Amino acid sequence: MNFLKKLAPQMVAVAEAQTCSKSAIHTSAVCCRVQSGRYRITTKRNRPLTYEMANPPHYIGHRKSWNSWNTSTIKDGLRPSQTAIEDVFLRKFMTGTWHAMICSEVIIKRQHNTIRIAAIIRQAISARKMYFLIGYTEELLSYWMQCPVTLELQTVADKKDVVFKYI
Amino acid sequence: MLQLWKTLRGSQLAPAVRAFSALSATSAPGKVDVEPIPASELDKLYSKLEIELRGVDPAVLKSYTWFANTAAGHLGIETGKCWAPRKAHHDRLTLLKSVHIYKKHRAQYEVRTYFYYLTYHKLTGSTMDTFLEYIERNLPEGVALQASKTELQQIPEHLSKPPEQV
Amino acid sequence: MSANLTRWLERSLHNCHATQSRTALRLFSGQQQQQQQQQQEVEEDEEFRVLNLRAVKKQVAARREIKRDPVPPPRSNRMAVDQDWTAAWPGPRSFHPASVPLPLRQGYTERGAAAPSKFANAELMKIPNFLHLTPPAIRQQCEAIKQFCTPWPKGLETEEKCKHHFPVEVVTTDFCHSLPTIRNPEARRVTVSLKLSELKFDAHAKDKFLRLVGERYNQETDVLTIVADRCPMRKQNYDYALYLLTACYHESFITEPWEETKSEADMEVYHFERNKAKLSAEAILNWNEAAGETKVAPSQGYAKSVEQLINEGENEYNIAKYKKEVLKMLNIPVAN
Repeated sequence: MNFLKKLAPQMVAVAEAQTCSKSAIHTSAVCCRVQSGRYRITTKRNRPLTYEMANPPHYIGHRKSWNSWNTSTIKDGLRPSQTAIEDVFLRKFMTGTWHAMICSEVIIKRQHNTIRIAAIIRQAISARKMYFLIGYTEELLSYWMQCPVTLELQTVADKKDVVFKYI
Repeated sequence: MLQLWKTLRGSQLAPAVRAFSALSATSAPGKVDVEPIPASELDKLYSKLEIELRGVDPAVLKSYTWFANTAAGHLGIETGKCWAPRKAHHDRLTLLKSVHIYKKHRAQYEVRTYFYYLTYHKLTGSTMDTFLEYIERNLPEGVALQASKTELQQIPEHLSKPPEQV
Repeated sequence: MSANLTRWLERSLHNCHATQSRTALRLFSGQQQQQQQQQQEVEEDEEFRVLNLRAVKKQVAARREIKRDPVPPPRSNRMAVDQDWTAAWPGPRSFHPASVPLPLRQGYTERGAAAPSKFANAELMKIPNFLHLTPPAIRQQCEAIKQFCTPWPKGLETEEKCKHHFPVEVVTTDFCHSLPTIRNPEARRVTVSLKLSELKFDAHAKDKFLRLVGERYNQETDVLTIVADRCPMRKQNYDYALYLLTACYHESFITEPWEETKSEADMEVYHFERNKAKLSAEAILNWNEAAGETKVAPSQGYAKSVEQLINEGENEYNIAKYKKEVLKMLNIPVAN
């Protein structure tokens, strides 16, 4: 019993240390802010940038606009977290399904209960395959999101068409 | 190529759609004429319709306001005040710029919400339903709409005179 | 790779045969000659053979030419100048450069450079467009839906007339968000407002009604506002608000037995009739009168001035009026 009594303060100290360490966890939002969305100049000046990449995030709303259009971010918007997670999933699914073909950002617009996904696609595969992929993406996403999903794609012949400048 | 396919698909769908629309067009007027309005189902009266728009882009709100007012003009609805607050609502989030220490250096993020207010006066129930549905259907993405309807009602019969026995 | 392997196998086979023929001499002569000839040929061919451990690709298979379908030119080139735009762009859709015959440009560039064109421009795709809501389209659609509209009834032109015929106002709110659900918890709220002068009360009922509704009554505008948001549905809240109004109204006409025990300390305003001031004034007026004679009551003006003095507080006007009434009651001529 005495032994336990002696041990008690130490246990308390350990517990406190654990609670302290909990608050030291940082989120990536803070961590990556200085670098996120900004690109470095290369020595050969041959890194291609699209218009979206050429303007860092603080120009959103001034020189470039948002990639996600929904009412969750505005004041008193409902389910902001779910919308954000869904958007991440939609983007991942799009980039994976249209592998190495998406030349721009994936633009997600939510209007009422429909989701419209817009993107610029490279003309790398035949039109037949493209139609298949469009149907496939719309079908699967509308099943998962439980709402109608529409793909609105624009195609370009070459990846260089979307390049805004080289740095 | 996509365009071509879409037009092709559209042309294939077109006959069916047209047939359907013709069907509805032929049936609709007859229906309207024949169906008598029951006396108990009186139309509601709305003295005022206040619409609050919220969005991230003021230009989109402005275009939408123009659209709503034009539609109201075509439908013969009395348009009241239409205004926007001079400043947007700023939701700010201040964080340390660094990961760990350096409290003097911070980064600030903000989400702006722009507002727009529209007012319409003197709508009957059917006009209200038609107009609201039309403008709500054409709501652009990223804009939230909030419609407050002021309905006019008569005093219920049991309140029009003092109760006889209490 | 496979070609190399077969050649190597052949060669080893030849060598094998040769050694066999030299040592064992069991083979037929014709065969042996043939083999020796072959061996010589081989040696002439590959005098300096290279030991090729890592097989090098001899021939790179020519890449198959990817046959691409020719991409047609943008549809906007073939559009007629006087086409029906509402048919070309019927509904909300992201911007597509091949469908819009406008020389649009969008984007910020350094000074002097032209803004990026409409092709492969993501900025134009991002911004919500109103291409389906052009003025002719709005007119066309409004004319189509105009048959469902009804005119405002005659006789309700001004607000006073509306208020006179329809005194109750019910405010409900609809919400429209870009969400998979159409439910919004705020939409259940119902506000019923009513001008209190529209309801008929007696003095006791009015007093009791105001006590029952409490904060919901606005003294300055004489408007009673009932906000109901405790039920999950709008209809339920509306019914509840009307129920509250009805219940309060009917309850205010009931006089409970305990209401008679209301003492002077419970009164919220000073009443001349129930107070000592009336008795004192009567005593002064009826000084030395016999019991059987009719009593002289204090005048209405005096009663009013006393009530005013106590309810509103002592100010110059009230005191002056009180003085005037007192002098009048006591028949004292004014000095000046």
